[in-house]
Parts: sequence; C-alpha cells; structure tokens
Amino acid sequence: MPLLEANDLTKVYRLGSVDVRALRGVDVQVDAGEYVAIMGPSGSGKSTLMHILGCLDSATSGAYRLDGTDVSTLRGRALARVRNEKVGFVFQTFNLMPRLTVEENVMLTLQYRGGYSRRERRKRARALLERFGLEERFKHRPDQLSGGERQRVAIARALVGEPAILLVDEPTGNLDSKAGAEVLKTFREVHAGGNTIVLVTHDPNVAQEADRAIHIADGRIAA
Amino acid sequence: MNLFESLMVGLDEARRHLGQTLLSLLGLILGTASIVTVLALFGGQTKQTQDYIAQVGGFGTVIVRDREQSQQPTARELASDRLTYGDAAYLKDRATTLSAVAPGWFDQLPYRVGDVNFTGPVIGTTPDYAVINDIRPMVGRYLSDLDVRRQSRVMVLGWKYADSLFAGRPERALGQLVTLAGKNYRVVGVLEREEFYFAVWSGNALEYRNERAYIPITTAFTQYTGDDERLTFLTLKATSPTGARAAESQVSAMLHMLHGVEDFDITPSGAGSDEDAQFFLLFNFIFLVVGVVSLFAGGIVIANILLASVVERVREFGTRMALGASGAQIFAQVVAQVVVVAALGGVLGLGLGSALTGTVAHFMGMPAAVTGFIAGVALATSLSVGFLAGLYPAFRAATLSPVDALRYG
Repeated sequence: MPLLEANDLTKVYRLGSVDVRALRGVDVQVDAGEYVAIMGPSGSGKSTLMHILGCLDSATSGAYRLDGTDVSTLRGRALARVRNEKVGFVFQTFNLMPRLTVEENVMLTLQYRGGYSRRERRKRARALLERFGLEERFKHRPDQLSGGERQRVAIARALVGEPAILLVDEPTGNLDSKAGAEVLKTFREVHAGGNTIVLVTHDPNVAQEADRAIHIADGRIAA
Repeated sequence: MNLFESLMVGLDEARRHLGQTLLSLLGLILGTASIVTVLALFGGQTKQTQDYIAQVGGFGTVIVRDREQSQQPTARELASDRLTYGDAAYLKDRATTLSAVAPGWFDQLPYRVGDVNFTGPVIGTTPDYAVINDIRPMVGRYLSDLDVRRQSRVMVLGWKYADSLFAGRPERALGQLVTLAGKNYRVVGVLEREEFYFAVWSGNALEYRNERAYIPITTAFTQYTGDDERLTFLTLKATSPTGARAAESQVSAMLHMLHGVEDFDITPSGAGSDEDAQFFLLFNFIFLVVGVVSLFAGGIVIANILLASVVERVREFGTRMALGASGAQIFAQVVAQVVVVAALGGVLGLGLGSALTGTVAHFMGMPAAVTGFIAGVALATSLSVGFLAGLYPAFRAATLSPVDALRYG
C-alpha cells in the first residue's frame, strides 16, 4: 500500500464571482522511502496540490489517504494534528521564528505535539542539529545564521517529529548556488536515511535530485 | 505548547519591544493607578469617618432633638409637654434597647472670670452624657449623680474655655469659680482637649466640644428656666453599636405615645462629617471615572496594537499552523501574551497608584493605604482588561487559514 495516495483530487476557489479550478482531477501515489518531485510552472496548481498533500488545505472533492489515514474528511483541529504528526514542512523562505533560538525553533514541532518534556524536546532537537553540522549554533538566533544554515535548521525542525513525509517547497529558491547545493545534499542524506520526500519545484535541476518527477499543468498531471 | 511556555513567549515579546509595550500599556497603567488611588483613599476616608464617629461616642449613639413648633400648631401639638426631663426618666426605665440616657438642656450664657468675659454654650446634663460621648477629664472629674441630686452649682469646663478663662493655664481652673449669667459655679473638672482633622485644610472637627461648659441639668432648671423641665435634646446609647436603628424606632414610639404628637427629631450621631464625606465622594468619583475611562481607552489601544502585531506576524502563525498548531493553541498563545503584558501593566499601575496615593495622602494629610485587597483588585482589573482586549486579535489569529497565512507578505 502506498504511503500517500490521492485520487481524483479537485480544488475550486471562488474568486469574487468566478470559480477558479486549481486542480481538475489529480491522482498521486508515493511509496514509503521515495523521493518525488512535483514540477510545474507557476499557476499550474502545484502549490495547491502541495497544500492539500500537506494537510494545510482540503480538496473540494477526491480521496486522500496519508500513512493509512483518510484525511480528506478531516478539518481544523484534526487536520492540525495530522500535520503535526505525519508531515514535515520545509519552506522556500525557511520560516523560522526570528525571536526563538535555533534549538527552540526545532523544538516547536514537539511542543505542539505535547507529551514531551522540555528536556526531551531539547535532546531530540540537538541530536538532529548535530547531525546537520549545527552543533555550534544551538543558542543562536536565525538572523545570525547563513541562508544554508537556516534551511538546515528548518529541515531539522521538519524532521524532529519523525513525520511520515517531508514536504519541501522550492528549498533552494532563496539560496545562492553553493548553499543550494549543500541543502540538496542534505536532502539526499535524509532520503538515504529512509525518509520519504515530496519536493515541489519549477527548477529542473532541483527536480532531477528526485527518483521521479510528476509534472503538473493546468491542474492536471501532464506526464 | 503549555501555558507556562506561552507566558514566557509573551514576556519575551514584551521585553523585546519594551518601548512599544510601555506605550501600549500607558492607558492600562494610568487606569490601574487611578483605581488603586481611589480605593486607597476611600479606604482611608472610611476608616477616618469611623474614627470620628468612635471619638464622638461611637456607633449606636442616638440624639433626640426638640422640634420647633409649627407656624399654626394643632391642638395636639399645643397639648404636648414637649421633650422633658420626665421623658428621659421614662426612657431610662422602660426602653429595653438603651443602655444609657442623658437628658440635655442647652443655652448661650455669658461667662466671666475676673476681667475675662464672653458668651458661649452651656449644657445642662447628667453623668451619663460623659459615658455616651466618651468625654474624659484632663483634671478633676465629670458631673456626678450627687451633683444632679443636690442641684449643685458646679461645672465642668471644656479645654478651650478653661484655657481662655484662665490665661492659657487650663489646669488652673480646677477649684476656681466661674460666673455664668451672674451665678457662681465651682469648676470640678477640666476636660481633655478633643481634636480630629479630616484633612490638613480642614480645622479641628471637634473644636466645638472644647468650647462649652457642663452643669448638672437640675441646676440649669432651678437657675435658668424657673423649674420648667423642658429639654433641648436627649442623648441616648443603644445597647449595642448595631442597635441604633432598633433603639430609634423604640424611642420614637415611646415618645410619640407620651407626647401624643411627633414634635421631636431623631438622628444617629456622627452626622457632622457629612460635608466632608460629600466632598470626598465627588473626589473619589472623579478619580474613578478617570480610571475607568483610562482602562477602557487602554484596552482599545492594546487591542489595536495587538491586532497590528497579529497582522505583522501572519506568516509566523501560518508556519506555526504548518508545524501542527491548532487554532486553539494559536488563540491561547496570543491571549497568554497579552495577559503577560497586561500583568506587567497592572504591576506598573499598582506602583504608580501607590506613589500617587502616598503623595495625595501626604499633601492632604489623610490616611490612605494600598492594602493587599486593593492590589488584588488592581491586578485582576488590568488582567481582565488585557484578556478582553486580547480576545478579538487572538480570534483573528486563530481563524487564519494556514494557506493564506503562509502566502501572506
């Protein structure tokens, strides 16, 4: 059984009096341990698809199972819980909390899950940060870090909750080529460690990092 | 995220934007300070009024006064003997609600000692009067039952009159003769000086008690009224401090029965402080209005600034939601932050209010104290204002759509 299975997803937005059909029936399957890229130009619906796959949004119709859970009927609090437990997000703009230290940023995920002592959260956060070579940076604020370091902190934050799937949105978009290459290398290592990654990008050079690519255009799978 | 962590985040936010935080709290601080001051001063005044009443005889003292005859008196009114010495005796025997009864006769008479002379009040009464009004002699004694029975020509002088008549040596008055409207009286006692100040600008509220002399009521009747035993007033003491009301109604009923008409007025004692009380009430009211308005304005300012900060941090909330924060958790975070800030405002307001209270109390010479209760009220008020101000911004943050929030900016 695939880890992630979406069937005939549609998404319709209402913009004023006009219905915008962002997704027009999309099927996606990702197996555990896969590294998949979702590609498409802007306006293709790839962001919408990522939001639905990441449980930030719900599809207008269609079925979606993630790690054995039917999430297409979930809303609000239940969806927040699925995001917390099964999805790790990495954003183009890192989205670290500027006022929290590096380790506090990583601890946030576990904080929202609850059930972990502060000591336990810190221990897990530090273990991951060490793995990404950030052991000197525990107590720094994000603005004291380079772009590549920030993105690695964000990856640690996404992984600390041991999610079923890592959802990555244009991870190198805000980085220079050297830092971008390092971040992509980090993803390769994470993938080699057994994690499932879904990467959304419009950049073919980034997409070729993945095992396979899904192309989207006009709200449909193109190839 | 537990509550403590939310509070710590809130405190951290406040620390990092100290200037903005203090500005946003200004209304809250002023409002809290104002309310602290009002409560402290009000507490001080209440205590002072109680002290005053205690000093003039305490709660449970009741005064009956002869009411002036109406322009066209009815037959019943004309038939009444009015307030008499007999009424006093009757009440003393029959009124179960009373522990002491002092009949009173009052007149303005000329005083003379050697070359010193002036006209002033004289009160004819019985020993009970001293008990009821808590009068204490500085030297000598008060009137005795024997004085009353013998209609003795003795007097007890108020401190000020003894001072005036005996050239600034009031204690020298003891044993001397004072002429009252041509009759000589031996001074058997000089009273302690009585003082009470409601505020530095007001005079001695008890000075009138220093400017009088007491003679046995029987002496007053034989010397000045031609044995007409009518009283000017009756001073009564209820059996307990809280029994004044019951005493009033019993006395009223008994006197009405004796007189056949209501030709008397009954008032509780301590009414002399009314004017001051009115003034302070107005004073308190103004402060209270200022406080409530400040708190209201303060709440709106906080809500506004918080709303702006929520908008500023939309992407942060979006990210938190992506990490798995539920709407309730976001809501709690925002409310916790504003509550921390409001608590800070409450503490600062309490400090400012205490300083203000101290200043006002010092310059107005009034007792006032910021008690634990007042501090509690002040903190609870500012926390409530903060909480209420935080509800709407928190609701806005909690109901953001994660997708829109992440896209924002």
